[in-house]
Amino acid sequence: MAQKFSKVLVANRGEIAVRIIQGLREMGIASVAVHSDVDRTALHVLMADEAVAIGPAPAAESYLVGERVIEAAKTTGAEAIHPGYGFLSENGPFSRAVEEAGLVFIGPKAETMEVMGDKLSARRRMRAAGVPVVPGTDEAVRDPEVATEIADGIGYPVLLKASAGGGGKGMRIVREAGEMAGALRRTMGEAGASFGDDSIFVEKYVENPKHIEVQVLGDGKGEVIHVFERECSVQRRHQKVIEESPSPSLTPALRERICDAAVQTAKAVDYRGAGTVEFILAPDGEFYFLEMNTRLQVEHPVTEMVTGTDLVRAMVLVAQGDGLCYRQEDLVQRGWSLEFRLYAEDPGKGFTPSIGRIESMTVPLGPGVRLDTGIYEGFDVPIHYDPMLAKLVVWGEDRDQAIARGKRVLREFVLHGPVHNLPFHLWALDQPAFLDGSYTTHFVEEAFDPADWLPALTDEERQAIIAAVALYESERRSGDSTPESTDASVGNWRLNALRAMTGNR
Amino acid sequence: MWMKKRYVVDLDGDQHNAVVARRGEATEIAVDESPARPANHRPVLGGRALSLRYGRRLHLIHLSEGGAGGAVDVTVGGRPVTTMVMDELRAQALESLGTAAGSGTICADIPGLVVELKVEPGQKVHQGEPVIVVEAMKMQNELCAAVSGTVIEIPVASGASVNPGDPLVVIEPEPGG
Repeated sequence: MAQKFSKVLVANRGEIAVRIIQGLREMGIASVAVHSDVDRTALHVLMADEAVAIGPAPAAESYLVGERVIEAAKTTGAEAIHPGYGFLSENGPFSRAVEEAGLVFIGPKAETMEVMGDKLSARRRMRAAGVPVVPGTDEAVRDPEVATEIADGIGYPVLLKASAGGGGKGMRIVREAGEMAGALRRTMGEAGASFGDDSIFVEKYVENPKHIEVQVLGDGKGEVIHVFERECSVQRRHQKVIEESPSPSLTPALRERICDAAVQTAKAVDYRGAGTVEFILAPDGEFYFLEMNTRLQVEHPVTEMVTGTDLVRAMVLVAQGDGLCYRQEDLVQRGWSLEFRLYAEDPGKGFTPSIGRIESMTVPLGPGVRLDTGIYEGFDVPIHYDPMLAKLVVWGEDRDQAIARGKRVLREFVLHGPVHNLPFHLWALDQPAFLDGSYTTHFVEEAFDPADWLPALTDEERQAIIAAVALYESERRSGDSTPESTDASVGNWRLNALRAMTGNR
Repeated sequence: MWMKKRYVVDLDGDQHNAVVARRGEATEIAVDESPARPANHRPVLGGRALSLRYGRRLHLIHLSEGGAGGAVDVTVGGRPVTTMVMDELRAQALESLGTAAGSGTICADIPGLVVELKVEPGQKVHQGEPVIVVEAMKMQNELCAAVSGTVIEIPVASGASVNPGDPLVVIEPEPGG
């Protein structure tokens, strides 16, 4: 039943939509972008072969409206939909509707998403499949006395978790029996309000964990392979900011065990397409199933860099019915890769999001560098979506080279406009806990001091800045005749003209 | 003959003097009365960066125009820094007005012609209220008050041509506003 796609709709925006469009183009498949009103001139729209407007700026009225996305696919004659990550990517009813419309959903079966989307049902399924899960309950708990009994049994501290939760919401640590009743009541209240489901379960709280995840690929017919692990322990506000592959925390034996457990997990749900099995790794070397993300992951490039794979292509081939394009025995990890997520946010002010126009951008190139980006000079970063602008990915022959290369490209990268977190990454690459690989998911909260993290300028740098700014000002005023300064003036005129035309400032 | 021009650069709240001297192709810069150094500069990497050598060390400085008049955003070694720059005359003008640049002062963004003054000294204005119209590149741009307060000085007249960074309307912000 192999059906070659000639046109695929990408139901996303930003860097991931661009990444998928690029992958499709390499396969000779035409791409259709969808966009909200404010994204009319976004990079994914400019790059796609066709583009369809699907509604106003708020995602709930555009990118999250499944019917409009399906209608856009039918209107343009696309045969399949790639959901990217976020938005509709893990929405079972949407993928069913796509298939009912006679289109192919590039991702797992709806049933898989539904099992994995509910933490309790995922726990039960994994325990049955023999995958290690964190000690705790498999049933929702309402009664504080029952919860206390369970907690006494597994030992404090414990974690109360909303079954429908995610992204760090709906979780609470309980360190002793006396805190249980209040904590349970508050967590249930929050879960009910945020997710419309107040099912709470109790599990052991693993102190100082590392976040390790394994990339898997399945053909939906029982065949599953893994594409090794990623470590994603550098997090702020429960969101990842730096990822790497391999993980500095795994021995070859542990790597084999954790990758096998991931394959077992995916096999238990007859997984189709690309997915990620997340584990927490305790300081004693024990690991536990956390959840499975049934989609392409933000940090998939580090896996591609160290294994030489193309995960988007692999997903499309599976969806076409071509099966897996890799064999387990052919996959090896070579070298080391780091990904730095470029967010429009202010690290010095609690990582609060920032917006604005990209006034100037210089992208570093050179050996071992990849940039997955959704922005360009002159683009206005909208307030309606995630503030991630791009992902800077480096590859090195080993971890030391990857870190050195990361420092080099972070110093060469220039972005003027919104406040951004590139200097945060440079900070992280100087921290002993990052350099020796011992960092845990508490790394940022433990080591980052918002009042004292930016290295001071040296006197020589200060002098150089003052000299450069004065020189810049003198050339901008004089319009003198050296070829270089003529170029610079042209640049200024262009910037000013754009500003005047749009009435900005 | 060397043509010299003096600038005042605000870096992290400290004001510094810089003298740019040119003769033909040669450019030298002195910062804060230090000996002049040959700039040996050239734009690299996309045209908005300058490379400056101090002795043997190379510094790559990326610049772009920042938000308010005279602001220049700078990146050096991956670190962003915001600076303000003005020429000597403007620095003196601001000093004599006793007003810090950027606060209540509206400056020209681009070279242009003042076509209309919408306020006069002594008048109260609200934040966002249009105060002056400058024509540039055949487009009329209304510039608005950045703060609420009282207009204390209008250093330009209707019909005057202005350059980027020139102060146009000086507003004393309302206390607490």
